Parts: sequence; structure tokens; C-alpha cells
Amino acid sequence: MTSMTSWTVANSRKLARRERRRRLGPLGMLSHLALAVWTVLVVVPILWTFLASVKSEDEIFGDAWSLPAALRWDNFQRAWDDFHIGQYMLNSVLVVSFSTFGTMLLGSMAAYVLARYPFRGNRAFYLLFVSGLAFPVYLALTPLFFVVQNMGNVPLIGPFIGLNTHAGIVLVYIAYSMPFTVFFLSAFFRTLPTAVAEAAMVDGASHTRVFFQIMLPMARPGLVSITIFNVLGQWNQYQLPLVLLQDREMWVLPQGIADISAAAGYDQDWSAMFAALTLAILPMLIVYTVFQRQIQSGLTTGALK
Amino acid sequence: MTFNRYRRGLFIAAFLAAPVALYLVYVISPYIQAFYISMTDWRGVTASPAFIGFDNFVRLFNDGNFWKAVQHNGALLLLLPLITIVIALFFAFLLNVGGAKGNEGIAGSKFYRVVFFFPQVLAVAVVAVLFQQVFRPDGSGMLNAPLMSLGLQPIGFLSDSDVAFWSVLGVMVWQAVGFYVVLFSAGLASIPRDMFEAAQIDGAGRVSLFFRITLPLLWDTVQVAWVYLGILALDVFAIVWVMTDQHGGPDWSTTVMAAEIYRNAFGYFRFGYASALGVVMFFFTVGFAFLSLRLSRRERIEY
Amino acid sequence: MPHTPHLSRRELLRGAALVPVAGALAACATPQAPPAASGSAAPAATSAANPFGVAGDKPLEVWIFDGGFGQDYAKNIHQPLYKSKYPGAEIKHNATKEITKVLQPRFAGGNPPDVIDNSGANFMDFGALSQDGQLQDLTALLDAPSWDDPNVKVRDTIDQSVIDIGTYDGKFSVLGYVNYIFGIWYSQKAFRENGWEPPKTWDEFLKLCETIKKSGKMAPFTYAGKHPQYLYEPLVTLAAKIGGNEVMVNIDNLEDGAWTSEPMKTAATAWAEIGAKYLMQGTAGLDHVQTQTAQNKYQVAMLPSGSWLENEQKTTTPDDFEYGMFTLPDLTGSDKLPYGTIHTSPGENFIVPSKSANPQGGMEYLRAMLSKKAAGDFSELVRTVTVVKGAGEGRQLSPGVSSATAAVTTAGENVVYYMWERWYAQLKDECKAATGELMNGGLTPEKYLERMQKKADEIKNDSSIKKFTRS
Repeated sequence: MTSMTSWTVANSRKLARRERRRRLGPLGMLSHLALAVWTVLVVVPILWTFLASVKSEDEIFGDAWSLPAALRWDNFQRAWDDFHIGQYMLNSVLVVSFSTFGTMLLGSMAAYVLARYPFRGNRAFYLLFVSGLAFPVYLALTPLFFVVQNMGNVPLIGPFIGLNTHAGIVLVYIAYSMPFTVFFLSAFFRTLPTAVAEAAMVDGASHTRVFFQIMLPMARPGLVSITIFNVLGQWNQYQLPLVLLQDREMWVLPQGIADISAAAGYDQDWSAMFAALTLAILPMLIVYTVFQRQIQSGLTTGALK
Repeated sequence: MTFNRYRRGLFIAAFLAAPVALYLVYVISPYIQAFYISMTDWRGVTASPAFIGFDNFVRLFNDGNFWKAVQHNGALLLLLPLITIVIALFFAFLLNVGGAKGNEGIAGSKFYRVVFFFPQVLAVAVVAVLFQQVFRPDGSGMLNAPLMSLGLQPIGFLSDSDVAFWSVLGVMVWQAVGFYVVLFSAGLASIPRDMFEAAQIDGAGRVSLFFRITLPLLWDTVQVAWVYLGILALDVFAIVWVMTDQHGGPDWSTTVMAAEIYRNAFGYFRFGYASALGVVMFFFTVGFAFLSLRLSRRERIEY
Repeated sequence: MPHTPHLSRRELLRGAALVPVAGALAACATPQAPPAASGSAAPAATSAANPFGVAGDKPLEVWIFDGGFGQDYAKNIHQPLYKSKYPGAEIKHNATKEITKVLQPRFAGGNPPDVIDNSGANFMDFGALSQDGQLQDLTALLDAPSWDDPNVKVRDTIDQSVIDIGTYDGKFSVLGYVNYIFGIWYSQKAFRENGWEPPKTWDEFLKLCETIKKSGKMAPFTYAGKHPQYLYEPLVTLAAKIGGNEVMVNIDNLEDGAWTSEPMKTAATAWAEIGAKYLMQGTAGLDHVQTQTAQNKYQVAMLPSGSWLENEQKTTTPDDFEYGMFTLPDLTGSDKLPYGTIHTSPGENFIVPSKSANPQGGMEYLRAMLSKKAAGDFSELVRTVTVVKGAGEGRQLSPGVSSATAAVTTAGENVVYYMWERWYAQLKDECKAATGELMNGGLTPEKYLERMQKKADEIKNDSSIKKFTRS
């Protein structure tokens, strides 16, 4: 059905484009106006931040809409050197890469088993995972802190997964992403056709092979979609790192930005703060713009299941 | 056959072991312990906190700030989904079927969809810091500068206790709309074109197209959106904590449950009490989830 | 998909058995009092030169609040001094603007650092730390010989008020290093050029505000609206001036009706009038730096602050700005405390966590800080006054510090202070919220004080919050 729809869409788009050129009624104008207004609402605050990032301190405290007399690129230098924005970004990328990968691997494994292998206790496990959707993370914060701390005392691997470690927070992210991932993917696996997998089993493929070589590729649209959810969600995390990462060298971007904003007040360096903010925003927008097709089609496929 | 069954069992166990272990250790065990801690007077360090039963729960009934927070979460729970969904549906409709012909997207719909989604890819803390600047109370604020040049009084977006809550809501809507435009667009794309065409032949205008076809067929997606946004409204923390004055002020006008929990735990060192607040928040969230499951159990429209 | 029959019970158990093993070790959160690292290593022998028995090779972790005074003083003055005596000790220096956020989890985890400057807008609640037994008893420090002279005890080198204020539960646990002096700050240059005079009575103050307002040159008054503690300070101080020291003592002791007392009413009404008539536009949404910068740009004439102000503003202050400070004017002719009464408070509060790895080193670090050289260098570097007696003698003082020092001399015995904001963080937060509303006109003085009284009563009746008293 998906392929049918996209064929129709592609085809009718061509027709529509021709049609559109011919007439644009007053209602069409109003529609454009409404869309333009929201575009302005979205874009202007971001552009304004970019503009402020090359202003001087005095200009920032002056009229908000004045243009900078000279472009102060050194603001970025200070954002990088004094405010460590690069370090925070690197940490975020590192943490989110590993945690998303781990989430997808473990989440799809659990979801697959729970979706396709009835066994006694299956429903209990499923409910255990899904019930996590309703838990507010704030309830768990304090004990979680101690759990992670105690993890640090586990022999051998402890020092790598305790407080203040990236591996530690990666594990926490994975665990807290389980409910939605399992909920979503098990629904997805249930909808997949079974014939191919059965045929492979008859041919003697192992359960593990069927999963990795047949089911995962078939589930690709669902995986893409939930990956995007998880990347965004984990990139966004502020609360968990706030509690679990104390050393500045370990901080992730949201933590770093919030701290920079607090620090800018004391250091009287708002221009570097704007530069840091720009550095936090720009790469995300670029990455998004480059991959927006995948991101949007991912959401498109996944969200309706 | 026995061997196969054995293999199957091993496979299930192997695949479930790691996810379940992680989940039990990091998610389930802290939640269970939180319930216990909520009945102690633990202030964060003492090795053996005293068990005090339901004292914390009795205490929180008189905690004005917490109930203010609950009210704010409640208001967000109503307003955030409502406003976001209305705006997002409107735009999704314009972008997908609001074009000149009536069943097609408007020109440039792809551009709009890309731009509208921008805020969603920014971390909430980043958005919070950004709007802290946008909302500056004087001529250096992006919004107040034009107001003042028109000779109007500047608005204390974050400093006026009557306004601050609406600023928080505004920022949340600002960030959420793009995602739901894309979500609804996806929903619309899966509605067969001929349904719109058929309706148009019957002489339906754009408005009646929307109410007669778009909305009913999107109803499932709208419900999903409602649940997501509801959870967002109950869980809100970073926007309030980072953006507002005095972390939920001025004068507690923007505080939310999560902020009160964090403040009591990590500001006042009242871990027992904070956990009790968390338990209350837990029941609100579960209540919401239960309610939305109940309400969404209506007939699906098949097509 | 062929549904093979369910797993046998035995097989299920086998599978399930794998699960909990991995996590059982760590899944338990209940605090298992971590081994006190301090106890594990036997302290070195004590001597007159090494009164706490510091192990010279033990690392020392120091956290500085990186605020108005920056962090260079610790890196360039205090730490080299410690290191000169213990060359083998590695000092791990850290700084943050958000002490609570960064360090609270360390306390909760039982591995706090050795020295903390617990200051700034978000310092950790001293009351809670004390209640939890987290603070090292610093009495040994007071009784130790001073760094400079083995015949003089540390106790005798610092102001007595520091000891009074830093005592929790009968134990001296918090060392205020800087003497904060509170008042209304202005530019001596701007006042001179415009012919304005620091007011001595409240009527003069109102008249001055009116004159400045009418002059159109700048706004009369502002305060850090985002942090209303900048305004409740002069409000409560004014009340103490009107009604005497007991006004503050009663508030600190959570006495019934302490907030709604007559002097508080008068003071709140007086400040509410300033809030209604003379505030700089946008005050409510500005923080301390923004308002102070506005003052540096001659956009506003006066603001309430403390003696750290001059250093905090050093990069934006024009060279000829000449900071000055005046104390609160007489409200009535019959104020209990005379003109010149001043609010001082030891600030930059250093603590040594009792459960840290090296509390002996922490105390030794404080002893080094209290040496004449360290305190003197500090005063000069960050333009302020320390609690070490005579440390500022013969040093070059900036205009603001001179002005504040002069005010202290004038005040003589008429010095007041309050503790409630340190003892009861909830009361502080409520006062911040309510004071902001009072100044915005959102609360009448009566409603304002009722709210504060209600909160104070709530705390008083909450058995889970530890109470402190003073006299």
C-alpha cells in the first residue's frame, strides 16, 4: 500500500504543479500568508540569535534589531575556548551515537521476541516494558543516582559505568528508551508478514539469523523511524545528565548550554553566549536539512503504525 | 522437536536477557525504591533514613507551591495539545490538500515542512536559552524592541507573573508544532486521493473537505498526538528550569511538578519529600495514560 | 508463524535466571554509607606546624564558586601557599557558578570534595548539610595556631561575628572569608556632577528619587529583579533599623508574627513605594549584571548591593565612575538604631565536608587562607574586605571598598545580620518570589508580610526541617 500511495503522490504532484500555476485563488493567498507567518515565527528567533553572535557586548545590550557595526568572529573563539562548546558537542555526539545504537539493538531484540514468540510470561515482560511509558523519570532520579554510583563499585567494569562516565549514562539512556522502543517496535514486528521467516526456518536458518538477516531488513522503515525518535529524545536529555554527570569535561550539550547561559550573566560575555548558542543550533539544522527526506519519511512510515 | 523447542527457549532468553537486565537495574529498581524513600525523612546522606509512613503525603497536601505546580501542569495538559494540534492540523491540511485544486498540497509545501520542523531538532535546553534572550524585558529583547519603538510599554514576558506562564506555553507550542505538522502530513498522505476527489465532485469546499474527510480519517493520528503532547505537558522540566526566573517563577507562576520535585530533592535536600511528590506525579501520569487509553477505544474508521 | 508450544517451566526458569544476576550487584539504591575515606588512612602526627596532621602527599580537591570574585584568587594566592608547605600534595582545582547543581550529588554520593566555597545564587542549603552531619567541625581550626604566628590562635585573627554566624548546632562549621557590606551603591562622579547628595532620611531619599526622575538623565533606582534577594536585603535591614536588632532575631528564630511586625510593615510599605514610582523600566526582568551594567552606563542612579559589586563590575565600569555606598536612611526620627547602621555578613562561605577524603588538608587550606598574606593579597586582587583583622592595612584600596570600609567604621557597634536565608532555603525562595511581587505592585505590603509569615509558620511546624536559633 505504501508503494501505491507514493506512486500516486508522485504522479499527481506533477499534475498539480501545472494546475497550480494556472490559478491561485484568494484563499490560496491567505493560506500562503498563514504559512509565511509561522515560517517567520520559527526562523526569526533563530536568525536573530545568529546575528547576535557576531555583535559586540554593547550592541547586544542596545537595540535588539540593530545590525552589528563590525562582525565579531572572535565571539566564536571565546565560545569555543572559554565556554568549551566544542567539548560539549563532542560529548553529546559520542553519548547519543552509542546510546542510540544500543537502544536500537537491544530494543529491537526484545521487541521481536515479545512480538513473535508467544511464551508464558511474554505478556508480563511486555507490560513491564510498556508500563515504563507512564513513569515520570523524576520519581526515579534520586535512587537512580545511587544505582549508577553503586555500578561504579562493580569489579572490573565499575570505573567505566559509574557516575560521571559516558558509558554509564549510555546505559541509562538505553534503559530509559526501552519502553517506547519496545512498545513501538513490537507493534511493528507484529504487522510484518510471516511467510519469509517461516520459509527460512524450514530451510534451517537459526532464530538469530532469521532476526538479523530477514526480519531486521524488513523492519527497516520502523527502525529508521524509532531511531529518529531516540536520537532526538536522547540529544534532548537535560535532566539525566544533570544528575549523573558532574565533571565539566563530561557534560553534554544541553547541560553545557544551560551553564553557559548562567555563566554569561557573571562573566558579562553575552556575545560569546550567543556564539555558543549558534554553534549548538547550526550543526543540528544542517544535519537535519541534509537528511530531512529520510527523517520525514521515517516519521511518515512509523508514526501511523 | 525437543531440540527445536530448546533452541527456541534459548533464543528467547538470550534476546531478552540484556534488555530486561538493563531495564530492571536502571528503571524498575529505582522506581520501586522511590516508593520506599517517599515514606522516609531522608535528606540525602544519612545512611539509615527514618521510616515516617505517610507523613510526607500529609505534608504535601498543604504545600501551596506543589499544588500551584499541579495546576500549571493541568493547564498545560489542556492547552498544549489543543493549541498545538489545531495549528498543526491547519498547516498540515494547507500543505497537503489545501492547494489550489483542493486536494493537493500548496506550492512550496516541502519548504514549509522542512522549516516548521526546525525547532524540533533543537534540544529543549537550547530553546530555553534562546527564548530567554528573545524575551528580554527591555529594548535589547527581540520582541520588546519593536513594541518599544512603537511607543508601547515593554512586556515582561518572563518577569510578569501574569504573563510568564503564557510565555512558557508559547515556547512549547513553538517547538512542538513542526513535529505534528509532519505527523499529520504523513497521516494525510496515506488517505487515498480519490476520497478527496470524490468529495470535490460532490462540490465540497476546502472547509468541508477538512471537517468531512480530513479530520475523521486523521482521528487516530490526532489521538496519538494528544497522548504524546499530554505526556510532554506532564513531564515538562527543562523549559521551566532553564528559561524562567527563579526556576519556575516569578512568584511560582510557571513552576511545574518536575521542577518542585527537583527543587525539593536537589535544592532543599528533602529526598524523602521529593519522592513523595514524585509518587503523586506518578499517579497523575498513570491516570492520564489510563484515561487516554479508555477514551481512544472507539471505532476506527476503515478505508 | 508456527507457534511451538510454550516453554517448559524448567526452561523458562533457566532463561529467567540469567536476568537478575547482572544487575543484582548494583540495583540496590539505598545508601550504603560509603566507607569514609578519611578514616581509612591514618592521619599523620600532629605538631604545632602541622596542627591537623595533614598527610603531605594526599591530594586536595578544591571547588570555588566562580562568581563576583572569580577563581583566580584560589589558583594564584591560596593554592600556591598551601603547596609551598606541602609540595607533594596535588591540588585539584575546580570552579563552577552552580555549586548546588554540581556538588549536591557528590554529597549524596558520600564522596564530597575537601574544600568548598559554598556561595553564589545557588549555594547548598547549610541547614540541610548541618542536619546531615556533612560539615566538618572547624573548632579545631579556631584553636589551632595561626599561620603567621604560632602564639596567636586562629580564633583571635578573625572577627567574632564570623564565628557566631558560622556556628551550626554549637559547632563552628562555616568560614565566611569575605566581609560583605551591604548598602545602596551609586557613582560618586554622577552624583557630584548633578549636585545630588546621598540621603540621610527617607524623605530626602524620596526627594532625591523625584529629582533624578525629573532630570530625565537616568532612572532613580533599580535592583536585580530576577533575583529579588537583592531587595529583601535592604527591606529587612530597614525594618531592623526601625525596630531594632530584635526584628531580625525574631525572624531568624521563626517567632510568631515576626514578619508581620510593625517595623516590617513600615519597611515594606516604604520600599513598595519605591517600587511603584522610581524603578528603572524593565527592572523586574533584569538580573544583577544587567542592572549593574545599566548603572555603569549612567542609565540608573542607585541600586542595592554588597561590597563585591566593584570587583564584579570591573570590566564594564568607566575609569572615573567612582563607586560609592551609603547606608540606609533614617525612616523616622525615632528609629531604634541610629543613622549609619549597617548590615554586614561574612560571605564566600567555605566549608570542609566531614565525609571528604582529606578533611585535615581542607582545614589546613582554610588556615592558609586566613594568613595575613593570603588575605591581604586577596583583598587587593578582588577589591574587597576579608574577615581577617588588619589584613587590608597598608594595601591600596579602591574607591568602593574605601567607601564601604568607612561606612563600617561609622557604624561602630550598630551592625546587624540575619540567618534565615541560610537556615531555611524554602523561606528564602518564598521571600524572593514575594518580594518581586511586592515591588511590581502584585502584592500589597500587608499581603506580602502575611505570605511570608505563613511560610515561616509552615516551616516552624514542619518537623522534618531542623530548626536553628540565635540571640
